[in-house]
Amino acid sequence: MQRPGRIAVSLAAALLLALPVSYAAAVKKEAVKEEAPVRQKIFNAETFKLDNGLEIVVIPNHRAPVITHMVWYKVGAADEDHGVSGVAHFLEHLMFKGSEGLKPGEFSEKIRSLGGNDNAFTGQDYTAYYQSISVDQLETVMTMEAGRMRGLNPPPEQVVSENKVILEERRQRTDNDPRARFAEQLNAALYINHPYGNPIIGWADEMAALTWEKCKAFYDRWYGPNNAILVVSGDVTGQQVYDLAKKIYGPLRPVPLPERTRAAVPPLEASVTVRLEDKTVHQALVQKAFIVPSHHQNAKESLALQVLEELMAGGPTSRLYKALVVEQKIATSAGLSYQGSMWSDGDMDLYAAPLPGQKPEDVIAALDEQIRLLIKNGIPEAELSEALTRMQAEAVYARDSLSGPAMIFGYSLATGATIDDVEYWPYNIAAVTADDILAVTKKYLDPDNTQKRPPVTGYLLPQEIPPAPAEKAAP
Amino acid sequence: MRVIPALLILFIAFPAHARDKVLDIQQVTSPGGIKAWLVEDHSVPVIAMQFGFRGAGGALDPADKQGLSRMLSNTMDEGAGELDSQAFQKELRDLSIALSFGSDRDDFSGSLKTLTQNKKRAFELTALALTKPRFDEEPVQRMREANKSRIRSSLTDPDWITARIMNDRAFEGHVYAQNSGGSLSSLERIGPEDLRAFHKNNIGKNNLVVAVAGDMTKEELAATLDQVFGGLPTITPPAPAADLTLQNTGKIFVFKKEIPQTIVEMMQPGIDRHHPDYQLAQVMNFVLGSSGFGSRLTQEIREKRGLTYGIYSYFIDMKHFDGLQVSTSTETKNTAEMISLVKVEWEKMKNEPISEQELQDAKSYLIGSLPLSLTSTGDIAGLLLSLQMDDMPVDYLEQRENRIKNATAADVQRVARELLDSSKMITVLTGIPENIPGAVPIEKLPNVE
Repeated sequence: MQRPGRIAVSLAAALLLALPVSYAAAVKKEAVKEEAPVRQKIFNAETFKLDNGLEIVVIPNHRAPVITHMVWYKVGAADEDHGVSGVAHFLEHLMFKGSEGLKPGEFSEKIRSLGGNDNAFTGQDYTAYYQSISVDQLETVMTMEAGRMRGLNPPPEQVVSENKVILEERRQRTDNDPRARFAEQLNAALYINHPYGNPIIGWADEMAALTWEKCKAFYDRWYGPNNAILVVSGDVTGQQVYDLAKKIYGPLRPVPLPERTRAAVPPLEASVTVRLEDKTVHQALVQKAFIVPSHHQNAKESLALQVLEELMAGGPTSRLYKALVVEQKIATSAGLSYQGSMWSDGDMDLYAAPLPGQKPEDVIAALDEQIRLLIKNGIPEAELSEALTRMQAEAVYARDSLSGPAMIFGYSLATGATIDDVEYWPYNIAAVTADDILAVTKKYLDPDNTQKRPPVTGYLLPQEIPPAPAEKAAP
Repeated sequence: MRVIPALLILFIAFPAHARDKVLDIQQVTSPGGIKAWLVEDHSVPVIAMQFGFRGAGGALDPADKQGLSRMLSNTMDEGAGELDSQAFQKELRDLSIALSFGSDRDDFSGSLKTLTQNKKRAFELTALALTKPRFDEEPVQRMREANKSRIRSSLTDPDWITARIMNDRAFEGHVYAQNSGGSLSSLERIGPEDLRAFHKNNIGKNNLVVAVAGDMTKEELAATLDQVFGGLPTITPPAPAADLTLQNTGKIFVFKKEIPQTIVEMMQPGIDRHHPDYQLAQVMNFVLGSSGFGSRLTQEIREKRGLTYGIYSYFIDMKHFDGLQVSTSTETKNTAEMISLVKVEWEKMKNEPISEQELQDAKSYLIGSLPLSLTSTGDIAGLLLSLQMDDMPVDYLEQRENRIKNATAADVQRVARELLDSSKMITVLTGIPENIPGAVPIEKLPNVE
């Protein structure tokens, strides 16, 4: 179970490769077209598609004789019907509870006995299942994964005990900790009328009412080869994976797929404040959350928002940390976080942890002030080019991993991006200008822009202890 | 703008590693006598270097300055030589160099990751941080506040609270009982002079251990070692702490917190990594509870009964103590049942040999899964460092594989009988559990205020 976090942010957060300097310069000047160099891809992934609609991405990596095998379904919590929140995630758990040729629990036990690891996670827009294992077991894991793509059949008693498990999961992840409850409430206030406002794990009452029939309906509607992406990274070639996939996944029949819909977030006229006071809270947290476009909705604006995030919050010398923590000394942390790898609306969060004695409202004002300063004074050229260079270095580091690249392709494709969006991300990011960044900042984050959608402001605060009654009661 | 070498954009398919050994570890000694372990891998232009300073961990913190070693790790990358905090961090950031320091109870450590193209400056900045840290008042104050903020924030985290109490009670009377992250008041007493003295006394050439993985040759590393570490002094090694016997065994401590679950931690004595039966104990624990799905604890408590989202058992390896711990959480009303179910599995493991299937599954996983944890340069350097810090031989991974291969169900049962003893468990519960006979209430969190 995971909400797409920093890794899912963007093609930006985890990616790409260094650009040849000559190309970056050419982009800036928008000139010299006849010398356009061959564009280099980051991962050199190979792609295929089976007749039944299964998309295949292969990222060869020959460092060690191992592979990561992932199947991403283009369905998540946001595709649930109203009133059955948590069904996507509960189904993910039941996928381990018995399928064609496998008894309950046998899937993971078999993977362990072959020296591998496996797990799964659910997001708002996708559900993914993965195994990391020795390359000679690729056919075995494919056969097992294909078996549960259409052949899930958990026994009823397993459904009952697993329903208890997900309720324990909710208690452990959310109900035990006021920070998690605060995040859940703020998210619900931000995404009015939109499925992203429901927690992925579900609301407790609705989770307790989930049944196999509800899971089965969801499974039958969304799980099939034509709604899935197979991603394999590791010690293989594209041809090897394609041949095996054709043999194993190829015979599966496609399913009639409903259209993916997301109710729109209506215009907001009132400003909303979410305030959670709890006596167990000892460190306050303040936050301002904005609805902004995802990469899928508006690639150009999303790229600009990714660079904005880097400028404002890319480490201890970035604008927010430097201003609020180092210079003003009013907070112990401060940042900006963009969730842009979403099928529908993305969001942007400004946040800080105020030092004791600071008024939370003043810290919010200090965050706003940094946005105003950026808009008023613009972005120095050196600051922008340094940010772009850092983002491109992230691409080299992204290649220093087996499962990381598979994750990037999985969530990118499942949220509407293309292979080329991933492979050529450095070129797209290099083309972002200061004007692009200022434009999205004004449009979505400017505290003085009354035309924009108002943000949701959040305060997680220690509960005020009521003052003790005065020693001497008034006569 | 910096020139980015064309190398970075080439995708050269290097041949796969030789596969007769788990890892091809090279031992390197610099002209100046500094030693390191190296695994070369030129497939990605990245270098990971990790290093440790033996004995320079939180166990050296004075009682009234708990958190000193941790604070050193927070401030050593906050300015060095001519560069103040912001200038130092800006150089790291602009060159995409990840340099950080860490501290646990026993040792101090550092981690560097750089692109090959920036390695020269990365090594210079690391040497500067190691030998000429500034400890300016501004970053020291900032890190003090960040630690206090972390502590205040952790006070809402029942897992953290439970671990704090476990350390305090299980290690009572020993320096390990201290809060190595500091307390709200002890952090106030730590200033730049304390950091300077701790650094001068405990970060030396003669308690140094180095591990490197990635895009670097043996010859190049030999020269680099002297550049990075050659300026360190020779120190008088810190006096080691005493060995520790687990305290308060048989007792159950409860910290009252109004949450819907009870957090459960149970610990009994464990086994040293140098003990001849250590690998057999790993096989036993794989079956018992380290493996998640398929382990007996998960099978009985999560899969059959739905009493938890997660339950694990794992070994604690410290210099002066070895433990075997169980961590889980369950809805409040199931607390007593949870504790007794864990003890049932303890007895079962002692009373019956594990099945042939369980034995084979454990062997295949423990041997076969190792390469999965070695797929990035940082992972590999981390393993090389931990082997050296624990004084393991360079062929340890091969020895380990042989010991596991030769294990029998009878061996595993013998070790279970010698090791497992639920009467020697100390238990800590956080929540509002009822009907726990003999429960000792904890009124106030130790070493936090």
